[in-house]
Amino acid sequence: MRDVAIVSFARTRAHAGVRETEAQLLFPVVAGAIEQSGIPRKEIGFTCSGSADYLAGASFAFVGNLEATGAWPPISESHVEMDGAWALYEAWVRLQHGDVDSALVYSSGICTRGDMREVLCLQNDPYYLMPLWADHVSLAALQARALLDTGTVTEADLAEVAARSRRAAPGNPDAQVSGDVTAASMAAEPYVVSPLRTGDCAPLADAAAAVVLVAGDRAREVCERPAWIRGIDHRIEPHYPGLRDLTTSESTRLAARHAGAGDAPVEVAEVTAAFSHEELILREALELGDTVEVNPSGGALAGHAVMVSGLVRIGEAFRQIHDHGRRRTLGHATSGPCLQQNLVCVLEGDG
Amino acid sequence: MTDTERPGEDSGPVRFMTQHIALDYVVRVSPLAERFGEQLRSGRIVGQRCSSCGLVYVPMRAFCPMCTVAMGEEDELELADRGIVTSFTVLTPIQYHGQKERDDYALASILLEGADGTVGQQRLTGMPLDQIRMGMRVEAVWAPPEERASAAGERGYGFGNAIEAWRPTGAPDAPTAEFAAHVL
Repeated sequence: MRDVAIVSFARTRAHAGVRETEAQLLFPVVAGAIEQSGIPRKEIGFTCSGSADYLAGASFAFVGNLEATGAWPPISESHVEMDGAWALYEAWVRLQHGDVDSALVYSSGICTRGDMREVLCLQNDPYYLMPLWADHVSLAALQARALLDTGTVTEADLAEVAARSRRAAPGNPDAQVSGDVTAASMAAEPYVVSPLRTGDCAPLADAAAAVVLVAGDRAREVCERPAWIRGIDHRIEPHYPGLRDLTTSESTRLAARHAGAGDAPVEVAEVTAAFSHEELILREALELGDTVEVNPSGGALAGHAVMVSGLVRIGEAFRQIHDHGRRRTLGHATSGPCLQQNLVCVLEGDG
Repeated sequence: MTDTERPGEDSGPVRFMTQHIALDYVVRVSPLAERFGEQLRSGRIVGQRCSSCGLVYVPMRAFCPMCTVAMGEEDELELADRGIVTSFTVLTPIQYHGQKERDDYALASILLEGADGTVGQQRLTGMPLDQIRMGMRVEAVWAPPEERASAAGERGYGFGNAIEAWRPTGAPDAPTAEFAAHVL
């Protein structure tokens, strides 16, 4: 396998009610990631993006988004109807072929123009679940209830995750919500759908993010401290939530194993938990002990841009290595209701 | 049970399920589209010229997609409300539920004088549909100022309701060379 590293990461702040078009949102982010990478735009060998037009209700928005990349002369590019983390995975695969050495990965989502509790119903089984309009928050609440019923987790544990995420966020200028909140105050918030309270549910945001990947020694030429992708893998569980054990995340466990997450201690893990109980399930599946710092960025609970959050987690895991000198970090992304599909990316810095 | 079945009737195993899905979205006008719309309400079509390659874009956009160079107010220029039909379609409206059109009508892509890209989906008026041709010179039929309500191009294209349609000017057609590059 070719060694591939992340050499740059750029993102917008997460906030709701963005007025720019998606392409306008992406333009400075793509430009920023390319500039920071040290790779000239025209040298980039492959481009892959992750987004979903259903979020903003704009058909073929992902085609218009290409304008932000300066696709002239024509470029080799691809798109996934997924979180940008999967676009990163495709770019990583592409670089394994050996004929190109760099890739641009970007992701965007303007989800606050629609009601995600309606839009995300469309990802459900059309015969049995769609007619119920089983929205993703209610399904998450079912999972949280199932987890509480195992007796291993309490509502106070959920409130602690919610509070910790917001307390961490002030250290991150890109976070949407932050504050010096206590678990007690989170536990006093009203239920959105029992047992999930306001703080247990990530605030939705609009955002864009981009990374540049470089293969081989070129990464060291352009970047002082690249984050090498030591392992990356993604797994998926059955589509229908009723067929799954919602109290564990088997696909995360498998993805982590195949990505080699357990091969050496991880210092920081950025996981995409859009609901507080998801973080607890993911901690267990990823076997994160107490010494691992989880979501120092605040995580999705401090601002969740649908379709972008996963790529942002990997980007934040990159920052921990590139900006903060960490040695080994992990980024996680998820898709589908109740952590149905999960991607794990293990990063390492040199030395 | 289907929509046309009466309760109590048994027409065998379920073969079809009707699902009515409606999703509502808020259309937000970008600051740039709002500015373009303001100019339209004053009867001005404003485009931008890229400071790097010199291409002129209309409606305005935040950056040149060829050069990836930002374009701002300093790059703005006013364009004439005249142009050439580069391609067109004559539509026969299907009378589906909600259809507002009744008679055949024509939509065209217009290359405004001085622009380097066409504006699509523009209504043509003032001539028989079978006399429309590529290269036909047209001018804008503006809506009365007080009726130019909607900010144009919420999605970044078109003129909203500020320009009702385009009519032939009567001038000789443009030679093919003048618009051939913009036909597709």
